[in-house]
Amino acid sequence: MELDLSPIWDNWRYLLGGLGLTLLLSALTVACSTVLGAAIGLARCYGPRWLKLPLVFYIDSMRAIPVLVVLVWTYFAVPIVTGVSFPPFWAALIALTAHIAAYVAEIVRAGIDSIRPGQVRAGLALGMSGAQIVRKIVLPQAIVRMLPAFGSILSITIKDTAIAAVIAVPELMKRSETVAGQTYHPIEVFTLAMLVYFVILFPSTRLVDIFYRRVAHLGRS
Amino acid sequence: MSLDWSVVWQHRGELLDGALLTVLLTVLTMLFAVPAGIVLALMRLSHSKPLSAASACFVEFFRNLPLILVVYWAFYVMPVAIGIEFSAFTTGLVALCLNVSAYNSETFRAGINSIRKGQMEAAIAVGMSRWQAMRQIIIPQAWRRVLPVLASTWVSLFKDTSLVSVIAVGELAHTALQIRSQTFRVLEMLTAMAAIYWLMGYPQAKLVDWIHRKFGVKE
Repeated sequence: MELDLSPIWDNWRYLLGGLGLTLLLSALTVACSTVLGAAIGLARCYGPRWLKLPLVFYIDSMRAIPVLVVLVWTYFAVPIVTGVSFPPFWAALIALTAHIAAYVAEIVRAGIDSIRPGQVRAGLALGMSGAQIVRKIVLPQAIVRMLPAFGSILSITIKDTAIAAVIAVPELMKRSETVAGQTYHPIEVFTLAMLVYFVILFPSTRLVDIFYRRVAHLGRS
Repeated sequence: MSLDWSVVWQHRGELLDGALLTVLLTVLTMLFAVPAGIVLALMRLSHSKPLSAASACFVEFFRNLPLILVVYWAFYVMPVAIGIEFSAFTTGLVALCLNVSAYNSETFRAGINSIRKGQMEAAIAVGMSRWQAMRQIIIPQAWRRVLPVLASTWVSLFKDTSLVSVIAVGELAHTALQIRSQTFRVLEMLTAMAAIYWLMGYPQAKLVDWIHRKFGVKE
C-alpha cells in the first residue's frame, strides 16, 4: 500500500478551515446548550408543577431520537413548516443545541438531586429563604458534582458536530469527505481526520478529569 | 403548503424493513460488543504490561473518535488495509462494534474496579486462582453494577445505528431519506422517520430509567 500525502499538503488550508469551523461550532453548541440545559434542569427541579410534564417529555424525546434525525429535520423540514430557512451552520447549531441541552438538563437535575434533603432542611431551619438555599448551599456543591458529566458533554459535542457533515456544514468531517472524494485518496485523508479528532478529543477529556480531581473535595458533603 | 401523508402509508413496507434492520444492527452489535468489551476489560486489568497497553490504546482511540468518521474509515480504508471487501451492512456493523466495544470495556472495567480489593484477596487466600476469583466472585457482583450502564449504551447504540446510513446501509434513516428524495415529500418523510425513531426509542429510554432505579447502586 503506497501512501501519497500530497492531497493533504495541497489542501491543508481548506482542511484547517474545517477544523476551525468544527471548534467554533462545538464551542457555540456547548455554550448555548449549557445555558439552555441549565435553565431547563432548574425549571424541572424548582419550576411550577405544570411545566414539569412538557420538560420531561422534551428531555426523554431527545434521548430517544438520533441526533442525525434532529439535524436533518431542522435543516430540511423546519423551513417547510415555518417558511424560515437557515444556512447549514445555524441549522446545525440549533439542532445540536436542542439535542445536547436535554442531556445537560439531566446532568443538572442529577447534580441537584444528589444533595441530601437534610441540607435544605438545615438551611430552612436557619431561616434562609428558598432562593438563598439554592444559591448558597445546593448549587455550589451540585456544580462540582456535575463537572465530570460536563466534561463528557464537551467530547460528545465535538463528536456530534461531525454528524453535521450530513447537512453539508463545511466542518472538518465534511471537508475531509470532499478532499477524499476529489483526490481519490480516502485512506490518507480519513486517517488524518481520525488523528486530528483524536488529538483534540483525548486531551480535552483528560484535562476535565484532572480539573475534576483538583476540585472534587469541594463537592463532598 | 400541501401535505400528503399517504406517502408514508404507501411506503410502510420499506419503512418497516428499515426499522427491522435498525433493530438487527443494534442486537448484533451488542452481541459482539459485550464479549469484546469483557475481553478488553480483562486485558486492561491483567498483569501483563503489553496486553494492558494494547487494550488501553484501542479503547482510548475508539472512544475519542466521532462514530461517523469510524464508519467512513471502515468503508474506505479498512478494505485496503486488511485486503477484504465487506458488504455495506458488515462494514457498518464492524464500525459500530469497534465503537461500542471500547465503551463496554470501560463499563466493565469500572464495574470490576467497584468491587472492593479485599474480595479478590480473600478469594486468593482461600486458594482460588486469580482467574477463578474473577469468574466466581468478582464478575457476578460487578454484573449488577454494569447492567444499568449497558442499558444506557444500548439506547445510545440504537440511535447511533442511524449513522451507518452514510454508507448506504438500508436501515431506517437511510430508507426514509431515500423515499424522501424519490417522492419529494420532505416534511412527511422526515417527520415519519422522527416519529418511528421516537416510538421505538422512547420506551427504551423509559426502560433504562427503570433499570437505573432498580439496579442503581446508591451511596
